Amino acid sequence: MMSGWARMGLVLACAGLAAGCGSKPQTAAAAGARSGLVTPSAPAVTVPLSTSLVTAQGTWAIAVMGGSAASENNFWQLFVRPTGAGQWSEVTPPGVADNGGLVAAGTGTSLVIGFRPSQNLAFSPLATSTDAGRNWTPGLLDADLGNESGALAVDPSGQALALLQDGTIQTAPTAGAAAAGQWSELTTRQALAASAPGRDCGLQALDAVSFGPDKTPMTAGSCERPGVAGVFTDTSGRWQSAGLALPAAYRDDQVQVLGLAATSGGNVALLLAGDSLLAAWSNGTRWTVSAPVAVGAVRASGFGTGGSTWLLLSGGRAETVSGPGAAWQALPTVPTGTATLAPGPGGGYDALAVSGSKLTVWRLTKGAWAKVQLIKVPIEYGSSS
Amino acid sequence: MPGMNSGLSPDDPTLVAAFRSALLHQGTIAFIAVIFLWLVWATARTWRLTTPSATPSTGEAGAASEAEGSAEAATSERVGLGEARGRWLLRIGFGVLWILDGILQAQPKMAAGLPSLVIEPTAAGSPAWVQHLVNWGGTIWSYHPIQAGAASVWIQVGIGAWLIVGGRGRWSRLAGAASVGWGLIVWVFGESFGGIFAPGLSWLTGAPGAVLFYAAAGALIALPEGAWRSPRLGRLVLAGFGIFFIGMAVLQAWPGRGFWQGTVHGRPGSLTDMVQSMVSTSQPRFLSALLSAFSSFVAGHGFAVNLVVVIVLAVLGAIFLTARPRLVRYAVWFGIASCLADWVLVQDLGFLGGVGTDPNSMIPMALLFSAGYLALTPLPEEPVEDTAGAGWGQRLRALRPRTLGGMVASASARSVAAVAAVAVIVLGAAPMASAAANHSADPILALAIEGGSTSLDLPAPGFSLTNQDGRAVTLASLHGKVVLMTFLDPVCTTDCPIIAQEFKQTGELLGAKDKDVDLVAIVANPSYRSTTFTQAFDRQEELAGVPNWQYLTGSVSQLGAVWRGYGVSVTNLPAGAMAAHNDLAIVIDGAGNIREEVGADPGPGTTSTQSSFSVLLSQYARQALGRS
Repeated sequence: MMSGWARMGLVLACAGLAAGCGSKPQTAAAAGARSGLVTPSAPAVTVPLSTSLVTAQGTWAIAVMGGSAASENNFWQLFVRPTGAGQWSEVTPPGVADNGGLVAAGTGTSLVIGFRPSQNLAFSPLATSTDAGRNWTPGLLDADLGNESGALAVDPSGQALALLQDGTIQTAPTAGAAAAGQWSELTTRQALAASAPGRDCGLQALDAVSFGPDKTPMTAGSCERPGVAGVFTDTSGRWQSAGLALPAAYRDDQVQVLGLAATSGGNVALLLAGDSLLAAWSNGTRWTVSAPVAVGAVRASGFGTGGSTWLLLSGGRAETVSGPGAAWQALPTVPTGTATLAPGPGGGYDALAVSGSKLTVWRLTKGAWAKVQLIKVPIEYGSSS
Repeated sequence: MPGMNSGLSPDDPTLVAAFRSALLHQGTIAFIAVIFLWLVWATARTWRLTTPSATPSTGEAGAASEAEGSAEAATSERVGLGEARGRWLLRIGFGVLWILDGILQAQPKMAAGLPSLVIEPTAAGSPAWVQHLVNWGGTIWSYHPIQAGAASVWIQVGIGAWLIVGGRGRWSRLAGAASVGWGLIVWVFGESFGGIFAPGLSWLTGAPGAVLFYAAAGALIALPEGAWRSPRLGRLVLAGFGIFFIGMAVLQAWPGRGFWQGTVHGRPGSLTDMVQSMVSTSQPRFLSALLSAFSSFVAGHGFAVNLVVVIVLAVLGAIFLTARPRLVRYAVWFGIASCLADWVLVQDLGFLGGVGTDPNSMIPMALLFSAGYLALTPLPEEPVEDTAGAGWGQRLRALRPRTLGGMVASASARSVAAVAAVAVIVLGAAPMASAAANHSADPILALAIEGGSTSLDLPAPGFSLTNQDGRAVTLASLHGKVVLMTFLDPVCTTDCPIIAQEFKQTGELLGAKDKDVDLVAIVANPSYRSTTFTQAFDRQEELAGVPNWQYLTGSVSQLGAVWRGYGVSVTNLPAGAMAAHNDLAIVIDGAGNIREEVGADPGPGTTSTQSSFSVLLSQYARQALGRS
């Protein structure tokens, strides 16, 4: 016969058994992601990737749209207003998630877009269009493209420069080589910092690449030594200072080059010196520096035709300068949500304002902003989660 | 903390069903084992009673005589002293608590949720070395949640049953030792050392961890019973509690720890915050209302409440240190009342909400100091009938083949029940020990994400594509080998790199059989599809050196035909989104037939879920190899 103790053991075993009953189904939601690479030397000011540029095909603008809570729901968009047209359209290259950001570089005949890596992607796909964004040809930069709007440059021959996140500059000799991923190292931030012009400026970081009027590669960055602007040009494999000297008033200020672009006859640079923003233009032999404009937090910046430059600052401020020798002009306070400015038809400006997946185009007409277009962008929320 | 959880929902129906199934299976086995033990014991006793030859010969004596003796001899009761009251209280009290804890461990959320819902939050405030240690244990749990969850249930139920049925003697003392061992494991890994290294330590909230009291009780039960005959043990226990209570009073009174204020700058103080957080626990409405009211009271009278707590702790500590029985008796009743009040009003009974693992510290603490009082005041010793049975030495001496039956027959019911309890512990611990030796997570995690797989026996659609090296590859060229196939976007930012790593790990899990398996991915992007991108993807994922890895591509029309043939939808999405495609893994046997189709969505994408998918895929590959 079973004793009382044995019965108790059985009862206890059954009690444990019975405890396994009951369930409540529910779905899971959590995500893991690999971390990205680390920037070796962060510049004093980081200019967002939002920008615009002008090519023979039209005017292009880049802005981030979508959700604000998670970067996986922020999608960068490319818009174009074809030359001669008044309307904008969304022409973001398909096939790659662009949550990491878009970087654009244009020539007279084509526009190249670089996708910055995000999440588990460690290299930068490219896309090139020669028909105002209707068709795109894929390309590859097998590296982490830098997080600056000036990190990519192409010249009319198809030669390309790419500034990487770690400060390396790579070059591809032709558009075909760029598409095939055949890039080679041109220099590194460390190598440039160790060169004579790099030592003279105390080079800390590189912020942009471009081409000079004679198709020579150029780069620009931040200098530790006060009063010196770090703009360099590669002459037959030897890096030299591009000769940009600032007025004596800035001799005690550290200088950071926020942007660098090619113009028809030279280059244009956007500089931060102390608490002033300056534009500087080169005609290939000498530089002209603009009067200063008081700095605010830079929300976006870009270059137009003829060396024109624009700035979108905090508080809805916007400033433009039309070219060498001109003065900065303040635009009327931009509409709420303005993500970027772009040269508009007739020499004016368009303000592209973002709200979620809606882009509103405001045009500066008779000294005031007028709403001219609303674009609903079909953002695929959750597609990068 | 990395690795601490699988990223799956604690309520995931697949995991909950698997956990329940494991408990049912192991419970059935436990039931059968107990019945079997009882039958063997009962049969042996009956056989010894009815077999004349079983009567001991006159030439045998001592242990052999006792072991081989008749049923009457087996049940003969030696005259000895009764079990000390304090020891009995600890044994039964903590036995019941262990069983309750085991039952709580069987709650549906426990298997997948314990690391993320219990262990991780508990460890969050502790120093990095504690978190590192705890994370190590939590990772093992996360990789094998079903085995770990079931093991915790059966180990705790087994220890509890063992304590209750063990009675006295060595079996009982061993149960105490088991309680110490498991209690310390739970205290370190489940309670992060009871939070003693974290800020905000307080008696009110459960310091120094409930399970430390379980371990202390186990240690007392494991002492030789002679130790309980003297008041000295009681004095030691009470002195320990005296120091503990005074220490807790000092901590409670220490300025700057936030206990004196009910609210600080309009925000709840430490105690108010604790009670308010308990209000949100799923529980009966009356309890929630009681806590809510107490929370408001604490918020308004924080200083007074803390003053009462400090005084109670200091008075209890001082009286316990005196070890004067009359005073201690009142203090014990006062202490029990205080513990019960804190248990209800602050700790919210401890076990509510679906992820409570024990009733928190107050009940075990009260049991322990009550036992200390009983040990301080032993009753006059009266001889009682000792039913503990023969000692181990005698049993071991009797362990000869011809006396085994006699030994079983002579065993007491208490001993048989204790063996059954140990069997329950082993039943839970063995699968967990086996699983923990495997560095890959259980495939059940993958099934929880994918919802199972589909077994098929269909000819695989043929294809002619180009691999990453530019060589043509056809399905026919892969015949003779098992093909594990998937569809990957080379510029994908989310799942595809993870799936590629899962395939790579699958090859590693296959070991020597890897040479009979091809790992094949087909491009799933209509734009970024050239070998430039497959090669870049291979470099990114360090797949370029994997000999049986093939990343195939072709023209849009070639790829389109393959996508259609395998039921994969690939679409370019607008506005900066990546190309959309199914996450799919297909197992093709050596004869070119599809054998298994399984979703390959890495889901939460944690190391454990990736590992579990690789295990699942390698299992399917082995099955396909067996058919080839």
